[in-house]
Amino acid sequence: MNPNEQLATEAPAEPAVAPTPRIPTAVKVDKTVSLPAISFCVAAGETPGQIFIGMSDFGVHRLDLDAEKPEAKPISEARHGSYVTGLVRSGKTLISGGYDGTLIWWNADTGEVIRKAEAAHAKWIRKLALSPDGTRVASVADDMRTKVWDVASGQLIADWGDYDIKTPHGYPSMLYAVTFSPDGHWLATGSKTGQVLIRDASSGEITGRVETPVMYTWDPKARNHSIGGIRAVAFSGDAQTLAVGGMGKVGNIDHLEGASRIETFAWQSQTKLHEIEDTQHRGLVQALRFGPGDAWFVAAGGDNGGFVSVYGRADGKLIAQEKLGTHVHDFTLAADGGSLIAVAHNQAVRLLL
Amino acid sequence: MFPNRPRRTALAAHPASTAEPAFAAEPASTAEPTRGSGFSRRGFLSAAAAGVTTSLATDMTAINGLRSPALADELKRQDKRVILLWLAGGASQFETWDPKPGAKTGGPFRAIPTNVSGIHISELLPGLAQRMQHTAIIRSLNTKIADHGTAAELMECGRRNDPGIRYPDIGAVVARELGRLESKVPDYVSLYTSTEGRRKGTSGFLGARYSPMFLSDSMTPANILRLESINDVDHHDRAALREALAKRFTAESRSLTVDSHLSAYQRVQGLMASADLFDIQQEPEAVRAKYGSTQFGEQCLIARRLVEAGVPFVKVARAWWDSHGQNFETHQELCADLDHCMSALLDDLQERGLLENTMVITLGEFGRTPGINASLGRDHFASAWSCSLSGAGIRGGVAYGKTDPEGHKVIEGEANAGDLFATILAALGIDHEHEYMLGSRPVPLSDFGSKPIREVLA
Repeated sequence: MNPNEQLATEAPAEPAVAPTPRIPTAVKVDKTVSLPAISFCVAAGETPGQIFIGMSDFGVHRLDLDAEKPEAKPISEARHGSYVTGLVRSGKTLISGGYDGTLIWWNADTGEVIRKAEAAHAKWIRKLALSPDGTRVASVADDMRTKVWDVASGQLIADWGDYDIKTPHGYPSMLYAVTFSPDGHWLATGSKTGQVLIRDASSGEITGRVETPVMYTWDPKARNHSIGGIRAVAFSGDAQTLAVGGMGKVGNIDHLEGASRIETFAWQSQTKLHEIEDTQHRGLVQALRFGPGDAWFVAAGGDNGGFVSVYGRADGKLIAQEKLGTHVHDFTLAADGGSLIAVAHNQAVRLLL
Repeated sequence: MFPNRPRRTALAAHPASTAEPAFAAEPASTAEPTRGSGFSRRGFLSAAAAGVTTSLATDMTAINGLRSPALADELKRQDKRVILLWLAGGASQFETWDPKPGAKTGGPFRAIPTNVSGIHISELLPGLAQRMQHTAIIRSLNTKIADHGTAAELMECGRRNDPGIRYPDIGAVVARELGRLESKVPDYVSLYTSTEGRRKGTSGFLGARYSPMFLSDSMTPANILRLESINDVDHHDRAALREALAKRFTAESRSLTVDSHLSAYQRVQGLMASADLFDIQQEPEAVRAKYGSTQFGEQCLIARRLVEAGVPFVKVARAWWDSHGQNFETHQELCADLDHCMSALLDDLQERGLLENTMVITLGEFGRTPGINASLGRDHFASAWSCSLSGAGIRGGVAYGKTDPEGHKVIEGEANAGDLFATILAALGIDHEHEYMLGSRPVPLSDFGSKPIREVLA
């Protein structure tokens, strides 16, 4: 059966005046470029083929997949003090965050360092998210704090705690995931132990909580540690649905061998909508994005290998999927939903949807 | 065939029905020197010629006769102890003792200075960095074997088993060399709670007398408590009656077999009385808080209580470091545990005046690869990795050996498992070249050709 047909049957009827959303029917690799180091995060450039990548060589690189000979090159000789794990672009400004706890503002064209916020966090910065209007950037880190910064001035606007520093088993917790809602009103964060907090992005008031305890993957008996956590969160376009990504139960946590796992919620009513597990493509779901029209979303991640999967929002069923050679850490989705660029372990891959 | 090593202790199976020792005592002036035991190879060979086999030593009369209190008294008076923190699964040297910040293989963590000038370790061990004066790091282990089972055997025993011979692990050797016959506490306790890679430990040819008291499912030994059907008064009356009868019997008929029998009873009584040692609720809240609430922390506290009570060797296994996926997340979690608990342990031992005589070892079966795989993991690697020795007999504040800038190979001070074994024994004052005799076969305490790393010895 064509998954789209199934989705069309089961999805709620759209208003007559709304354009029918385009729903991908397949995911296919269009272009692959080798990268010189492990790539952790990506931000779209100004042209469709251009991306910026945060890497394990502590640098930020620029790559144009449409160039005759695409090659990732550092935007500057300046570097972070550790892996670069969060990256956003607002106009000509790039902001990167790293495991050194530092935020760096860059001129996206020249690579010039505009400012540094050293010790922006006391521990590893895990991810950055840009507000839809491009004026604020949120950062989350293993100090278990969520901070919001003014993109133009670099001023710290907000600093929120509310997560336990330690796991229930006494080990350091981690705060992996952050995203704004498309209207910029809400901010969602996800932790190692499977706790999602949804805040008013201005006041910081916590207005919603959902939990995905399976994603914690704590193994109390065989190996006495954990490997999972919530690695990705995404709001639907109407901000009603929240998708949470990680990994399901793991038998052997030496490896990322658990089923990739997504849970979706009507978060305002704290209602779980779907539990989606993919036992064929295992490992962590590292990134989630809803497509234009809100009828589908993309998940990417992996174990040693990688995957890019498209699911229907209404029924949570798989629409299309592509296997990749290495673990996907992040991707950027084109505004029209027709393509994405994923950064995998040591590759950048453009896929057509 | 073997180097001429003069210090030997004979071991052999001895028929249980034989009342006399299988080993003939010789005058101290014998041409073949001994270790002050009064037994010699010649004597042993005489006994062997009389029919004693070369199989495993299983008879307590024989072993305990050889290890009577007259033996190695000086060594035992020093009350040396060992706590082995077994990092099961293989911890990464990059994320612990041999960081390579900025190298392609180095991972994301920084190196931080320690309180010893010139020595840097991973930022994941900030507590231990401030206690480096107690610790010698060995960064140049090349042990070659990178599968869990064989490598664990190698690192526990200091050599690989030969056909027909099972070697004792370090715990059994230390128990034998440092344990006191009259001791009422166990000689060797092993705690391994996780199920993955669980290893009980082995006394090999030393026999069951030196097997570990093994705790896996509970932190309290099973079956050592008095039966509820016997009250405490009856329990003590029975023991007193048995002792009185035994004394009368031994006054008329003294033999090593009888002595061994009595010793076994005393040990059982001692073990029953040692149950409290495993109860950390006996510790003040402030002490328990220092160790923390993790299982590893609680077991480290038990280890301290055991060595304080005279247990020569305690192994605390912390599983599971086998980080094929998400190496850095794994080490963030487990190094925090190691750093906190080992720091508390070193402090506690020092405050009680025990650190001078207690060695704390961190060791696993191997290290982790320089390469970072697509799951952000590191795989098994035995060619260039690290361990640490702290406390008794160790020159603290030393980083011995060197690996290349990316950690692929040892470039200075290469050491193997036998060398590490010899180093540990030497630090405890045990002659690593001393030979056990298995029949006519001399077996040195550490492997043939192994040498202590003198640079880390006090």
